[in-house]
Amino acid sequence: MRSKFRLVAELVGPLAAVAIVTVFGSTMSIAQQGNVTNILVTTTIVVALYVFTGNSGVMSFGQISFVAVGAFAAGILTAPTLTRQANMPSLFKFLSTTQISNFDSLLLGAGLGALFAFLVGVVLLRLSGLSAGIATFAVLEITYDVLSYWDKIGPGVMPVVLVPVTTTLVMGALGLGVAIVVAFAYQRTRSCRLLRATREDAVAAQGIGISIFQHRLIAFTISGAIAGFAGALFVHELGSISTGQVYIDLTFATLAMLVVGGTGSLWGAVLGGIALGVLESFLSNAENGVAIGSWHVTLPNGLSVVIVGVIMVVVLIFAPKGISGSHEFLERFFSHRPAKAGTGTEPESTAKMTDEESSEVPLSPRPTS
Amino acid sequence: MSWIGHLVNAVSLGVVYGLVAVSVGLVFGVLRQVNLAQGEVIALGAYSLWMTRDLPVVVRILVCIGVCVAMSLVIQVIIFRPLRGASALTTLIVTFGLSYALEGVWTIVFGTNGQPVSMLSSLNQVVVGGNVGLRWITLVEMGVGGIFFALLVLVLYGSKIGVMMRATAEDFRTARIVGVRIDRVVTLAFVFGGVSAAMVAILFTVQTPLVTPTLGFNLITLGLVGTVLGGIDRLGRATAGGFVVGFVNSMLGAIIPQELLVFLPMLTFMFVIVMLVVRPAGLFTPKGSNVERV
Amino acid sequence: MIPLLRLDNLQVTYGRVVAVKNVTLEVNEGEAVCLVGPNGAGKSSTLLAVMGAVRSRGDVFLRGTSTRGLQPEALAHLGVAMVPEGRHLFDTMSVKDNLVLGTLARRRGRTPRIDERWVAELFPIIGEFASRRAGLLSGGQQQLVAIARALLSDPDLLLLDEPSLGLAPVAVDAVFEALERIRAVGVAILLVEQRAQRATDFCERGYVLSDGEIRLEVTEGTSEDPESLMAAYFGR
Repeated sequence: MRSKFRLVAELVGPLAAVAIVTVFGSTMSIAQQGNVTNILVTTTIVVALYVFTGNSGVMSFGQISFVAVGAFAAGILTAPTLTRQANMPSLFKFLSTTQISNFDSLLLGAGLGALFAFLVGVVLLRLSGLSAGIATFAVLEITYDVLSYWDKIGPGVMPVVLVPVTTTLVMGALGLGVAIVVAFAYQRTRSCRLLRATREDAVAAQGIGISIFQHRLIAFTISGAIAGFAGALFVHELGSISTGQVYIDLTFATLAMLVVGGTGSLWGAVLGGIALGVLESFLSNAENGVAIGSWHVTLPNGLSVVIVGVIMVVVLIFAPKGISGSHEFLERFFSHRPAKAGTGTEPESTAKMTDEESSEVPLSPRPTS
Repeated sequence: MSWIGHLVNAVSLGVVYGLVAVSVGLVFGVLRQVNLAQGEVIALGAYSLWMTRDLPVVVRILVCIGVCVAMSLVIQVIIFRPLRGASALTTLIVTFGLSYALEGVWTIVFGTNGQPVSMLSSLNQVVVGGNVGLRWITLVEMGVGGIFFALLVLVLYGSKIGVMMRATAEDFRTARIVGVRIDRVVTLAFVFGGVSAAMVAILFTVQTPLVTPTLGFNLITLGLVGTVLGGIDRLGRATAGGFVVGFVNSMLGAIIPQELLVFLPMLTFMFVIVMLVVRPAGLFTPKGSNVERV
Repeated sequence: MIPLLRLDNLQVTYGRVVAVKNVTLEVNEGEAVCLVGPNGAGKSSTLLAVMGAVRSRGDVFLRGTSTRGLQPEALAHLGVAMVPEGRHLFDTMSVKDNLVLGTLARRRGRTPRIDERWVAELFPIIGEFASRRAGLLSGGQQQLVAIARALLSDPDLLLLDEPSLGLAPVAVDAVFEALERIRAVGVAILLVEQRAQRATDFCERGYVLSDGEIRLEVTEGTSEDPESLMAAYFGR
């Protein structure tokens, strides 16, 4: 019984959080609603990041590449053909004439994200640790460079404009909801559970015949699909897109959300996305001037980045498992019996990034033979 | 420009990234942790050169070194001490956050558009003109880089403290058991890292006299790429990796046609990916060399 | 008399695994004590805990003062030296550099009773390969270098973790000959061994450890009773 409740809570918790944010958002002004929508879309990207990093323990700095591909494909193919021919004259023929609906563009974004992630994953996922981090960062740089300058597939240095705006508050919430359900469903699969086992102890997992590469690739592809889907949501929220919007700043923002929330749980990803999203939108409002009581405060430009960066550093030092403790929603409530052992899939550590259980004082960073 | 000119330029950019790699590799060697914020140490050093623009050159250089060492030590105390024993990846992410925060600070304090640093501009003049296009700075850079690295090797292999540093890098726990005062060694690694960062700040701003908030991040990403590429666990290999990345970047920039220059980052990072996939343990790490470090 | 080293109810756990359950023992100045027991009994963990190299509960007293919270390097500077299991030389460095590292923990303001000359006399053979890389030596040679490295700090207490492991009989003899001479100058020795006979023959006293607990204390009077030794060894 208990475990069933727990399972329900694991899914319902994040969904309820999204619903609450959406209901609150709907009572606000149109401009504020835009901010809330943005939080929801950004959180969708954080969920994508979580599906790979949280389950595999491998850090990727490249997931925003898949967001970029989804956003550009969806943006270009739904913008009016006339605009395309005027603004992007060098486009491949099929890109300049094909017109798809916004809904189809979401599916296309997901499909392209998955395809791109799969191809990248096949090449890179045998790497891990620092090398994987560097290699995925290289993918981000390459994607940025190509999208920015190859004018046969995109607008070059100009933004894609006049993309129909359909990601409203409700659509944003639905999109995030879909991403959460997919992430949850994936977490129930055998493949994901095996992947989490490799995260705890890669050597032992390989010893009993688990193919790390194969399960990582599955997670990476699903993550890519969610990221591409989020990209399409993103472009239909903004009505335009430029490469600078899907590059390092967004990588940093979403990464900060994930680690602040807690890398090891879906609940952490959603919580971190919403919490930091609210904070960031408050701060960027304040950078444009905000009235607090009778005071009119204008924060200097760039301060929000400083604050988010500092929060990220402080959380990682003092609470490396994030504000969720990398537990699922109400997980501690259901499992406050002492032994957590036996369930097997518990996120014991934040994606294997901390070492606090080790009783070795000198913290030898290398296993002694 | 002739191929000699290109080659010399490529070598000099290689030296800059080699020094970046030194400053990352020193800390990594001792702690097995990555300090991405080392780029912001370089940035602050460069800004200090701007702030001291009215002072004599020697003073400016000394201030720059002092600032970099001080900031390096502050990072050690507030970030790396509480994170002892955390993985390389954790520290990479923490210092990524710190870099971003500091970039915001530079934007607020120094502005978005950057500040001009004119220092030793006489060094930017041409030694050999015509189609060779060799500038003094290039020679100075190679000289300084070479001397600095030689000094470092001398310290590491010729002094007691160097022996302690190498011992710590090889086997952290045993080093402590034989009585190496680890905190001193770590501090020293950060001091040396700060000095190399100051070197980079000085050499880079003489070559490119504009300091923008993203300067540090741009230098450190490519520098770290080189470090990992070369093999981050050995200082020599890491440095060589940094050199290769700078060199290849500069050479590619010279040989590809003008209209394709915008795709230089793509080519550089393609090269990085290929190298990482082909030689995951590092470009200069002999195959199957794990044996010697067990 | 205050013992040089006293462990009181020492416990070491790694995560959920209990390596040392309850160890209480003493080593007096200049005394050789051995700790024998089967593989996995908690012998190495005990030594590492004395050295401050693993986290532990219970008390460790050095000359009557608790060492709680002290780091390994601090203990080294207080006159405790260790020869770790598997020797752990710095393989990429020369033998000479390894020995230089040994002198780091020498205490200031007193003439060392063990210095470079003493060690050179003890192990004249080391001079022959002083400039070679430590990783290239044979196991026996490495063991001598590891002992020399520990001795160069001029310790009051030498912790030895399985110094005979993996060595040819001749090399084992060389190690025990050296230990005899080290004891003769007044260095206390805490020796961990799986080869119980050799160790108990060498030491004045010994403890038998199994499953993380002291099963038996063996003094010179009782050491002729191998049966109770064996019972404790394999017992339960």
